Order: sequence, then structure tokens, then C-alpha cells
Amino acid sequence: MEIPYTVNARPDTGLYNAKVGIWLFLASEVMLFGGLFSSYVFLRIGADFPWPFHELKVKPGFINTLVLIASSVSVVAAWAAVKARRYGWFQFNMIFTLCCALGFMGIKGYEYFHKFQHYSFEFTDGSVINGHPIHADEKNHGDRIVFGEVKSIVIDLRNSNLEFLEQRREKKGELPYAMPASGDLKFKSPSGKEVVLSKGWLKAQKRKWLDVAGELSRTVTAYEIEKAANKGNDEALAAINAKLDEANKVAIEKAKVEDLTQSLKLDVVGEPLLFLVKESNVAKYGQAELSFKDSTVLQGKLETDAIEFNADLIDLRKNKDAEKALVWKYYPDLKDDFLRHRDEKSDEFKKKYPKRAGTADADPDNLRESLRFEFEVALPEEHAHKLLHDHSMAVSLPRSEKRFYSNFTPALSPYYAIYFLMTGLHGLHVIGGAIVLGWFLITGKKMYRENPEHLANRVEVGGLFWHFVDLVWIFLFPLYYLM
Amino acid sequence: MDSSHDNPTGHDSHDHPIDFAKAIRTYLMVGGALVFGTIITVFVAYKVDLGDIHLNIALGLLIATVKVSLVALIFMHLNHERGLIYKTLLFTMIFFAAMMFLFCLAYLDPIKDSFFKP
Repeated sequence: MEIPYTVNARPDTGLYNAKVGIWLFLASEVMLFGGLFSSYVFLRIGADFPWPFHELKVKPGFINTLVLIASSVSVVAAWAAVKARRYGWFQFNMIFTLCCALGFMGIKGYEYFHKFQHYSFEFTDGSVINGHPIHADEKNHGDRIVFGEVKSIVIDLRNSNLEFLEQRREKKGELPYAMPASGDLKFKSPSGKEVVLSKGWLKAQKRKWLDVAGELSRTVTAYEIEKAANKGNDEALAAINAKLDEANKVAIEKAKVEDLTQSLKLDVVGEPLLFLVKESNVAKYGQAELSFKDSTVLQGKLETDAIEFNADLIDLRKNKDAEKALVWKYYPDLKDDFLRHRDEKSDEFKKKYPKRAGTADADPDNLRESLRFEFEVALPEEHAHKLLHDHSMAVSLPRSEKRFYSNFTPALSPYYAIYFLMTGLHGLHVIGGAIVLGWFLITGKKMYRENPEHLANRVEVGGLFWHFVDLVWIFLFPLYYLM
Repeated sequence: MDSSHDNPTGHDSHDHPIDFAKAIRTYLMVGGALVFGTIITVFVAYKVDLGDIHLNIALGLLIATVKVSLVALIFMHLNHERGLIYKTLLFTMIFFAAMMFLFCLAYLDPIKDSFFKP
């Protein structure tokens, strides 16, 4: 089937069809991004916490803006090249545009990667420290919950997936936490059988459990039908009830012998086990029990739930009294430096912005400058580097003093939620646009020979989408990076 | 609003040859203006004190709007487009304004006040 009006304009609209189509699509895109921009505005206006403005590194965002501007120029130049019948220039500009798309996504990926590696710990009094937990290895547990002396595990046959086994470690001599232990894990089941815990065993056990339950269900249904047929015949009903009891007994006995119970407690054979558990896998824990989200329960002893943390910043904007902040329990040596920094920055601000001096105590700019203590800026380089990278300078933060702990992902705050949503959605548009433009580049030669105007129209339509992507970024950049 | 056939970029006039060099010059100049606008935006955000942070935000968004207008008018050819496109965009603006108005209604939400008051 031939698609009409791909080259020449339709008489009633004066436009070729694809152009009408792309503009209607762009109109819907305006509504999509418009809704998200307005969400951003309302989140920001209604924020009851210090809005994290001027916190993203400007340089990557600035470079990405230049990259997108360059790509916008090149994509419209590619269209002009086809119109002027200069295919070489078309190819050059399209390749340049695709390189820009690749560069943009590379820089965005770099930004995202660093965000995912960066963590924030908020104390119960509102003090915040940023940095990263020590990576869990042979010597450190990092931000894992250490649960040892595990002598029993309760498996939930319906929900367990045994993924918790990957978090098992061994405690050996001087090294407190060896790497994940290999080899079979042997347990003793309630029926006295020795069980080697594996996903295969769990699958077989689930199947057996379903078979027994299914068989019992079928038997009961058959007897219920029989009972209905013998309604009024007391003798027959008594006999059927006896058969039902017998079937139940058989099923219960079989379940007991085969360890077919939803909550199956297995005792560890040999040395007690040790687990370094990710908090994200845990439903709840106490001193003697830890429940995973898949309903598996460890019975043992909580050794520590503190987070070993290297910091790069202390932020006390949420504290009522910065001098009494909880964070000074862990960084007593930095308190004087912080207070000096606070007073200096506040004085600087008042001198620099005399019009705002009267309201400086509530001015978000002043609070950010004076109460956000970035080690890299405020401390000697070597000291700041050690605080962030030297494990001996790490602090141990108990979870009992934690209000919130997360890396820089959408979970951290509404700002990061909408930041990742909008930049992620924009990134998907860049990828989509690049695929379409790349397709025009690959297949363009044939079309150029047959009908260059058709190719020009295609490139124009692809270019219109690309410009829209650039246009969205022109608003995203100042909103997220500068304001 | 209809396309002008003597347009230097030759848009929408496939029967007329395009002045390639002139078009490229125009696009490069617009690109340069966009880069300049970006630098000014960063400068305004960090170096200019207008006495109120909201004024800085407003100025930043104004510059962004000028940049967006350049992209829309020159790169997206909205300076010489057919009437149907303008009509489509007009409706988009109306719907967009209506959507923003709906968000503004959040300020009239009586539940919020009773929630915060004892």
C-alpha cells in the first residue's frame, strides 16, 4: 500500500502528512512534559525541607547543553544538505548528530553512576551526612546488617526463594567476614532428614507440597459430593465422614514424613552460620530474629547493624541547633571547623548581598552556604580525601539513630524523584530520536537516489522531534542545575 | 502565516533550490546565540544578585524562553509555517494553560488547612 502525501503537500492542509503527524505528536509531548514541569514547580513550592538547589555539578549539565545545541544545528544542517542535494554533507551532519547523542548519554550515564554510588544518612535530629558506605568485603561489613550465630532457618514454602543464601559469609580468624562461603549447606529437617539447601530442593519440596494438598482437596470434594447425594441417610454420612477423617490423617502423616509444611524450620548441621544482609532485603529484625522480605526467617544473634561510612559533607540545615547536632558524636574534631566555616560564610553572604542581609538567617542561599559543610571545599585537600576514602577514618553509624538512609536515587527526596523521572524520560527521547535518525542515515542513500525530497521530508520530521528534545533540555538544565 | 517561498532556508519549497551556504550560516549563528544564552543563564544563576532569589529564577527562565523561541522559530521553522500547525499549537497552549490551572486549584484545597491546624 502506498502512503499518500509523503512528498508533496496535501491540497487541503498544505503540508505533507508526516509533518501534520509529527506536530500532533509534539503537541502531546508538550502536554506530557508540561505536566511534569508543573509537578516540579509544585513540589518545589510546597517543599518542607531545604530544596537541594545548586547541588548538582553544573559542568556536566552545561557540557550536555552545548552538545544538544550542536546536535540541533547539525540535524537542521543535515536537512538543508538534502534539500541542496549535497549528500556528503547530509552524512557528515547526521554522523555528527549521532555522536552528540552518544556523548550526551555518556555524560548522563556518568552523572547517574556517581549518584548511585553516593549516599546520604539522616540522623533522627535532622543532621545529614553524605558520602558512601565502605564496600562489604573480608574486613568490613559496610552497610550490611551482620546477623550471626544462626542455628535455625525458617523457610516459607510458599514464598521463600533462597536468595538470602548469597549473603552468607564465613568468619575466619583475623578476617571477620570472609567472602561468600561456597559448598553445600546442610540442615536437619523436623522429620530428621538431612537436607542440602538449594533452589532445586526448594522447587521439589514446593511441588510435593502442592501435590499432597491437591490430592487432599480432590478427595474432600469427592466426599462432599457423596455427602450431598446421601443427605438424610445418617448411616451413610457417618461412613463418609470417617473416610474424610482418614484421608485427612493420611495427608497429615505424609506431610509430616516429607516435611511438607508452609513454615519449615531447618536446623543448621555443624557450625552456626553468619549472614551480611542487605537492608533492602529485610522485612524486620530484632536481637534474635531476622525476617527477609520473602518470609524466610533467620534465628540467631544480631551482631551489628551499624553502617561503616566515609563522609564528604555535613549538612545541618534541618537542625534547630547546629552546635548540638547528633553528628558531632561521630565527628567531634570537625565541630570547630564547621562553626568557623558557618560564621565566615554567613558574614561573607551579608557583605556580598547587602540587600538580603536583614533576612539572612532564613535565606536559603545563606543557609546552604553556611550550614552545608563540604569537606572538599572547607578542609585541606588531604584531610578531606582521607575522610572520604580512608577506611580508618570511617564512622560507625547505628541504625537506631537513623531517620533515613539511601543513595542518590529517586528514593532520596522528591527533588531526586522528579530529577530522575524527567532526565530519564528525556534520555529515553534522546535514544529514540538517535535510533530514528540513525535509521535515516543507514537507509537514506537508496531513498536519496529515488526521491531526494522524500528523504528531506523524513529528515525534517526526525529533526523536528530532535529539536523538541533539545527544547526540553533548555528548560531542564536551568531548573535542575542552576536554580 | 503561510510559508513564504522566498525564504532563505528554502523551507517547504522543494521545487526551489536551497541556498545551502546561507542556511548553514543562519543555523550556526542561531547555535552561537544559544550557546551565548546558556553562558548567560549560568552567569545569572551564580554571579548576579537581583535582591530576591525568585527574580533570579524568573530571569533564568526568561532567558531559557528566548532560547526555546529561537529553536522553535528557526530550527523548527515556526517563523514561516502553514496555518494548520499554528492552530494545532494554539490548542496545545490552551490545553496546557488549562492543565496548569488545574494544578493551581491545589492552593484552594481546604483539607490542607484543617490538616495543619489543631
